[in-house]
Amino acid sequence: MSRSSIVALLIFAAILGYFLSFGPDATRKLQAGFYQLISPFLTTGSGLEKQITSVRTGLKSLEELERDNASLRVENRALRATNQALRDVEHEVNRFRTALGYRERSIFKLVPAEIITRDASTWWRTVTINRGKQDGIEGDMAVVTEEGLVGKTTTVSDTISVVLLVSDENCRVAANVEGSREQGIVTGERVAGAVTPMLDLNFLSKQANLQPGQKVYTSGVGGVFPTGLLIGAVREYRVRELDGQARLAPAVDLVKLEDVFVVTGRK
Amino acid sequence: MIFFVILLVLVFLAQIVELFIPPLEWMYNAHIYIVPVIVFYGAMALPFPLMLALSFFAGLLLDVLTMQVIGARVEITLGWSILIYAVLASIMHGLRPLFIRGRWEIHCIMSGVCTSLILLAQYLMITFRRGSILFTPEAWWQIGGPGVIAMIMAPLLFWLLHTIGNATGNPFLPERDSY
Repeated sequence: MSRSSIVALLIFAAILGYFLSFGPDATRKLQAGFYQLISPFLTTGSGLEKQITSVRTGLKSLEELERDNASLRVENRALRATNQALRDVEHEVNRFRTALGYRERSIFKLVPAEIITRDASTWWRTVTINRGKQDGIEGDMAVVTEEGLVGKTTTVSDTISVVLLVSDENCRVAANVEGSREQGIVTGERVAGAVTPMLDLNFLSKQANLQPGQKVYTSGVGGVFPTGLLIGAVREYRVRELDGQARLAPAVDLVKLEDVFVVTGRK
Repeated sequence: MIFFVILLVLVFLAQIVELFIPPLEWMYNAHIYIVPVIVFYGAMALPFPLMLALSFFAGLLLDVLTMQVIGARVEITLGWSILIYAVLASIMHGLRPLFIRGRWEIHCIMSGVCTSLILLAQYLMITFRRGSILFTPEAWWQIGGPGVIAMIMAPLLFWLLHTIGNATGNPFLPERDSY
């Protein structure tokens, strides 16, 4: 090994040792700072992704137009394009109208946010949203939609926040079951192979005998998640050696999530 | 040196692009990873000190973008991905003589294997951290799938990077005679 390689190796080891000694606070600060630094790239990337999706939808209309006769093709294409654009606008208006309605009805102070990136890695279920400290967001704040619980914030930079989804194994939510006195802890799966992830409701009593369809809400224990937020509905219940466990279908479609609200307090 | 800077930029851009590539539903939600292939190419095309710097940069990016800080604990401490990248890139660097002689097959296969090894290492770390060993078929797919995709991508990416290397006058070509 050459002398320069040995020197490089020593420098590498020293810097690595320095990073490995970082505590949670320093790590969180570094992560927030880095997210802040790359936020223009993430916002641009998110915009590009939406444009590409829109173009793909447009191309499908063009394929259908191939079947029409030649004289109507140009006119038809123009009409379809206009129609598609209007449909996009209508979809957006509906989205905002629903969101606005929920925000006004809700008993919580809500900060609306848009998803920028999702599922950054294989093993952790997270999304990033376009709101941060500047909008009053802090760590460990509940994130919801009008349908139910989405997750909680973890790392927060000035303009971007990381949200740990309820489908992640590390996101533990104290919950109670509709129509019973049963309480338990909801966690996600470590490895989600299916398109729609499932949740586990653990530490139920062996006599719980939950029925499919029963709704599960946050109990408010722990302080992060306010009480009464819908988490999901029971799919199946099974008795284990020491306790009972229920499989839940999340109330929110976490795969198609576009807009969310961060709960910053009560009204 | 120019080629090294280009590789750094490409690693950064690829890492951002990866955030927007959806997981493959038909492969049990396996992700597509481009960064490891670029890093492993760099491991063969760059001298040892620059290879370490590239691994460091890629590992740091991966850690900062994906690590989870929950309350008072970090699931995989900052620095582990750097170490994993450095170890695997060093293995690839060991295959450099073969690469310089123009043989790429083993490196394409190794790029895939090493991509899966990164995921396996991460999975083992979170498994030990969370306390229960759980290896389901889905987990194996999510570890192996990205490796297979990386293997398929590697020849094209290697060719592109090699072309850029030649165009920028990367000095790995003069070494050809010494092997």
